[in-house]
Amino acid sequence: MNGIALDFAGVLTGLPGKWLLSGFLMTIYVTIAGSVLATILAVLLLGLRIAPSAPVRFVGIAIIEVFRNTPILVQFLFWYFAAFSLLPSSVRIFISTDHAWAVLPVNNLILSPEFLSAAWGLGLFTAAFLAEELRAGLNAMPRGQREAAISQGFGHWATLRLVLLPQALANSWQPLVTQYLNLMKLSSLASAISLAELTYQVRNIESYNAHTFEAFAVGTALYLLLGLVLGQILTRLGPRPHTNRPARPTPSEAAAKVVGASSDA
Amino acid sequence: MPDFSVIIDNLPYFLWGRAFDGEPGGLLLTLIMALEAGVLSLILGVLMALAAWLFGGWTRRILFAWADFIRGIPLIFVIFWLYFLIPALFRTDLPDTLTVVLALAWFTSAAVMYSTLAGIEALSRGQEEAGVSAGFSRLEVLLYVLLPQAVPNILPSLAGVLISLIKDTSLAFIVNVPELTTVAGQVNNRTQIYATEIFIFTGAVYFVLCGLISLSAQYYQKRTQPAG
Amino acid sequence: MSTSASPLIELQNVHKWHGDLHVIDGIDLKVGRGEALAIIGPSGSGKSTLIRLINRLETISSGEIIIDGVPTAGFTGRALRELRTEIGFVFQQFNLYGHLNALDNVSLALRKVRGVPKAQASERARDLLDRVGLASKAHHFPSQLSGGQQQRVAIARALATEPKIVLFDEPTSALDPEMTGEVLSVIRELPKAGISILVVTHEMSFARDVADRVAFTDGGKILELEPPEVFFSTPKHPRTQRFLQQLLSPLSVVGAA
Repeated sequence: MNGIALDFAGVLTGLPGKWLLSGFLMTIYVTIAGSVLATILAVLLLGLRIAPSAPVRFVGIAIIEVFRNTPILVQFLFWYFAAFSLLPSSVRIFISTDHAWAVLPVNNLILSPEFLSAAWGLGLFTAAFLAEELRAGLNAMPRGQREAAISQGFGHWATLRLVLLPQALANSWQPLVTQYLNLMKLSSLASAISLAELTYQVRNIESYNAHTFEAFAVGTALYLLLGLVLGQILTRLGPRPHTNRPARPTPSEAAAKVVGASSDA
Repeated sequence: MPDFSVIIDNLPYFLWGRAFDGEPGGLLLTLIMALEAGVLSLILGVLMALAAWLFGGWTRRILFAWADFIRGIPLIFVIFWLYFLIPALFRTDLPDTLTVVLALAWFTSAAVMYSTLAGIEALSRGQEEAGVSAGFSRLEVLLYVLLPQAVPNILPSLAGVLISLIKDTSLAFIVNVPELTTVAGQVNNRTQIYATEIFIFTGAVYFVLCGLISLSAQYYQKRTQPAG
Repeated sequence: MSTSASPLIELQNVHKWHGDLHVIDGIDLKVGRGEALAIIGPSGSGKSTLIRLINRLETISSGEIIIDGVPTAGFTGRALRELRTEIGFVFQQFNLYGHLNALDNVSLALRKVRGVPKAQASERARDLLDRVGLASKAHHFPSQLSGGQQQRVAIARALATEPKIVLFDEPTSALDPEMTGEVLSVIRELPKAGISILVVTHEMSFARDVADRVAFTDGGKILELEPPEVFFSTPKHPRTQRFLQQLLSPLSVVGAA
């Protein structure tokens, strides 16, 4: 890169520096909000998907397949431009009004059409993938686990909750972590609906002072860093399978798996 | 009440953009981009997998680090980097569409490499040993013994990669390349009040496309893997 | 032991079809309290299905199963789940819950199905582990136990809700030979405590030494049902004779084949 003088001070200080910090925090906020939503929705979708009743199962399949097989960008556009305008006007006005309590550092408004559409879109999209990973984990459980529980008098849901899910969760934890990391990376596309997260701010700097390379480099590094930290946290927090011990991978192995995992938009 | 006349009125634009003026757009451009990026990433990904298998050691480590890096950052940054790097390195601009196709191919090749390598390494070690003891070189073992057996196992996961790729072409929206999502955004901006119809239709087109791929992969699997 | 008076388990003309396959073909059977019944027969003879019907891991196609005087074939939902807590089941592959240690494996159903408080459930689980000689392994996970130890924990688990009946589906078939002894010696204690056991097994010595009666099944029917001393010395049915002959002198079969 001869001939290009690098000037990281131009993006890390002053106004661009503030933008980057604000955008980075916004990425973290929307990732957390999206992940919480995704977790709740995944449990609901899984419940539909494996319900004893066939029509209910079909509804589960339909929802999961629709959200898995359409681009998240189109989903963002739908929630932001279409669904939001279908809300009652009182709700829309409430959301669009500035509320002091909804401002997180640094100057990030989390009660806004942009934030809500992004968090909801990320949550629902990721939930569909999480539900499928969990179902795959359940399908991989030996039949005997279910039979043992049934023979002890457990019902359908008790068998799931007490015997099958804890093990499926532990066995499929790594792919689940991948989905949460994917959610974090996909939050970058919320810049398309004007959510002022990291990607949005990086482009802001690009047009502000033409420090394109530096801005991209810092943005890239921050996403990588966030992915590594998030991957570590989730891997450590996660349940560990009790089969084939020692099952705990070394941190570097876990990080390699996490970063190397596939992405999906 | 939804009013899908906006879709009917703009259907040619949604489907092929200004193809008759020499500027394909809409669904047609989505398909063209997916096809080009798909072929490129297939070549690149399979070559990387073969290199990782043949040479192992540092070659493998570097290829994995490379793939992990690519998959560790948002795809939109891969597109940004190419937009920035191509003019900086080659002192020439490429058409936007081609830049996005290259970025998609670059990104997707990492997934192809993973799938291909997993398919090869899922075969029993005995296959490799049988090939080597029959006097084949390692390259010959790979080409004549392992790869042909691995293909049926790799194809379903490549179908998954292709579905992701088709969805990923929608990112061209962000750099204003007029594929399906961009065209939908344009029509939405122009008409203002039909967002629901426009984005449901757009989503449905992607859904049908991805669904068809997924169904044919399942059909293929059922046909090649006898029951039980 | 007596099989007279009121039997604990009574099967009346029980049938089971898997599609066109007639797996259980009109079986009648009475098992007394504290009786040990060994069920033997060639694979595919329906012997596993027979015991799986009793706690309804398989649905009954037709017929009635009366347990402790109560017809159970129509049981569903809560009644069925309660019935199952009164019937222990021990699987060939142990099927211990992989995410729980030995103690929790034994106490889980007590706590969650029976609603016994945790401290009390754990104490009972500890007693049961002690009874199968594994008190020291209470906090080991299944993956840290040998096959024989896993099966003994599984037996303790089956006993947790104080069942009157315990069903065994080839409890030693997945074990290395040196471990079958420890498991069989636990099983043989149960009838002494008044528990009826039905054991599908390949262990002829176990059938001979422990069982009060031995049932021979083939083609979905019970062809022979006798005390072991009669069963092994003077089998009546030609198929029983052939089966026993193959088992006792397998080489002659190879020669004949």
